[in-house]
Amino acid sequence: MIRCNNLHVTFNHGLPTEKLALRGVDLTIPSGEFVTVIGSNGAGKSTLLNTIAGDIRTTRGDIFFGDRNVTKLPATGRTKDIARVFQDPLAGTCGDLTVEENMSLAYGRGKRGTLSFALNNKLRAIFKEQLSRLNLGLEDRLDSEMGLLSGGQRQSVSLLMSALQPSSILLLDEHTAALDPKTAALIMDISSQIIAEKQLTVMMVTHSMRQALDHGSRTVMLHEGKIIFDLEGKERANYEVKDLLNLFAQARNDGEELDDDKLLLGS
Amino acid sequence: MSVFAFLGTLEIGFIYGLVAIGVYITFRILDFPDLTVDGSFTLGAAVTATLIVAGQNVFLATLLGTLAASCAGLLTAWLNLRFNILHLLASILTMTALYTINLRVMGKPNVALIMEPTILTPFEGIFGIPDMYMKVIFVAICAVLAALLVAWFLNTQYGLAMRAVGSNKRMAQANGIVVTEKVYVGLALSNGLVGLAGALFAQTNGFADSTMGIGTIVVGLAAVIIGQSLFASRSMWVIVLSCIVGSILYRVAVSLALNADFLGFKASDLNLITAVLVALALVFPKLRSEWKAKQAERNNG
Ligand SMILES: Nc1ncnc2c1ncn2[C@@H]1O[C@H](COP(=O)(O)OP(=O)(O)OP(=O)(O)O)[C@@H](O)[C@H]1O
Ligand SMILES: [Mg+2]
Repeated sequence: MIRCNNLHVTFNHGLPTEKLALRGVDLTIPSGEFVTVIGSNGAGKSTLLNTIAGDIRTTRGDIFFGDRNVTKLPATGRTKDIARVFQDPLAGTCGDLTVEENMSLAYGRGKRGTLSFALNNKLRAIFKEQLSRLNLGLEDRLDSEMGLLSGGQRQSVSLLMSALQPSSILLLDEHTAALDPKTAALIMDISSQIIAEKQLTVMMVTHSMRQALDHGSRTVMLHEGKIIFDLEGKERANYEVKDLLNLFAQARNDGEELDDDKLLLGS
Repeated sequence: MSVFAFLGTLEIGFIYGLVAIGVYITFRILDFPDLTVDGSFTLGAAVTATLIVAGQNVFLATLLGTLAASCAGLLTAWLNLRFNILHLLASILTMTALYTINLRVMGKPNVALIMEPTILTPFEGIFGIPDMYMKVIFVAICAVLAALLVAWFLNTQYGLAMRAVGSNKRMAQANGIVVTEKVYVGLALSNGLVGLAGALFAQTNGFADSTMGIGTIVVGLAAVIIGQSLFASRSMWVIVLSCIVGSILYRVAVSLALNADFLGFKASDLNLITAVLVALALVFPKLRSEWKAKQAERNNG
């Protein structure tokens, strides 16, 4: 279970560029729930995921995994619970290392690296078997440099890597956004498989309203650092893409009115 | 080149092979350009030579010289990680401080070891091998052993994590790797190897001198670049051993250049030659890719 209590995140505190990226996010996600997160550019979606993962420090508020308060725990201390796939296919893997070396790192996620060899034939067999799920022929390229793979191939490997080590939480930040439609569909397919298989608690950020409604059992919308909409159950089942788009438009209009006020006050 | 001169070239090539491995760890593995080595080479030599003159056991003296140099690496890492000082600048600060520290350690600009026992003394006369060969064999064994240990280390889970830190910090962190710890360990290891090189240099050449470390970084880089351009491999074993080969080839090239009278080089030209060589080696890949890009543009347009 993930619980966010009144999360606030401010960037560049006290500077002219100060940015309130999260302003009081309350969100409880029970174990095994799959939540899709939507919102316009700059709404704070990535910030929310990065804060839960521990990359960003909270300015105010608390984060709990189960009943453990992890607010003060650094990112590396949370990797036992959290697996992630980033939007940028280059971000989740090391381009200078081989496919198998990358997978070995992910296989050891959250454990202390020991002085035993990072690779052996037993591991290679596991990696091969995992890679063959992708049907991309990557199982024969264990010793290729990651940097030589295409973005889609890299993202596919990142996804497999996130599932090599048991975790309870999976954070997906627009993980299919940089891919062509066919590869994106494949990645989404495998994601769903893995999530169902391992009964993960998932937050998936997406800009595709279709994806947001088709996957998971709950959808939240962020706007200017707040959750303005939380949709589940029957209500969600009746929602269509156009309804979500309406919500977007509404949120944007509200925002614009605010901006107009500011303008008036400023002049 | 006489046999004697050739043995001398080999000996110094092996010793600087250790430097090259150290430089490889910081520049290539950790992506942390570290100039501390100019100071830590001398520190290793200074500490070892001073202890030997004071009557310490030669092995203990060498070990302490190595550890002192490791500490210099830790200092650079600390300045960078704790206070966010740019890595290059942090290492220059340490290097500058070390210049004074080395003078203090020795108490004078240089320490002679001519009449003192050295790490070679216990091996003198073994199997009836003449001393001048023994020296080379000894440093060769040291360098190759160190290379094998480092290559093994880089193939372990811990070593792979260190490579990940240099390649993609975000990915490393997302997989639970503590970045700062790896940087500390890497810099200690790298500077320790360089300090060991300094300690061996002092003992095989019979002196430690406050200026002996100048240019160490460039020589180390030259060796790494030469080694890597000759052996394109992904295997850590090949890569680390190629640092030693690169170091030897560099020394051979330099001594050939200096001995070729028609070139008219003097020994004091060495630093300029090296700097030009390294600059060319660093510039060449960039020029090549720019040139290729231009060609591709022309072909498309
Ligand atoms: N490191 C940072 N420093 C300063 N401001 C930041 C930083 N990271 C994000 N922001 C700002 O915080 C706000 C929220 O950014 P965030 O990346 O969370 O948006 P997002 O919802 O993920 O948008 P997108 O859909 O474009 O990915 C933005 O206005 C952004 O400019
Ligand atoms: Mg984002």
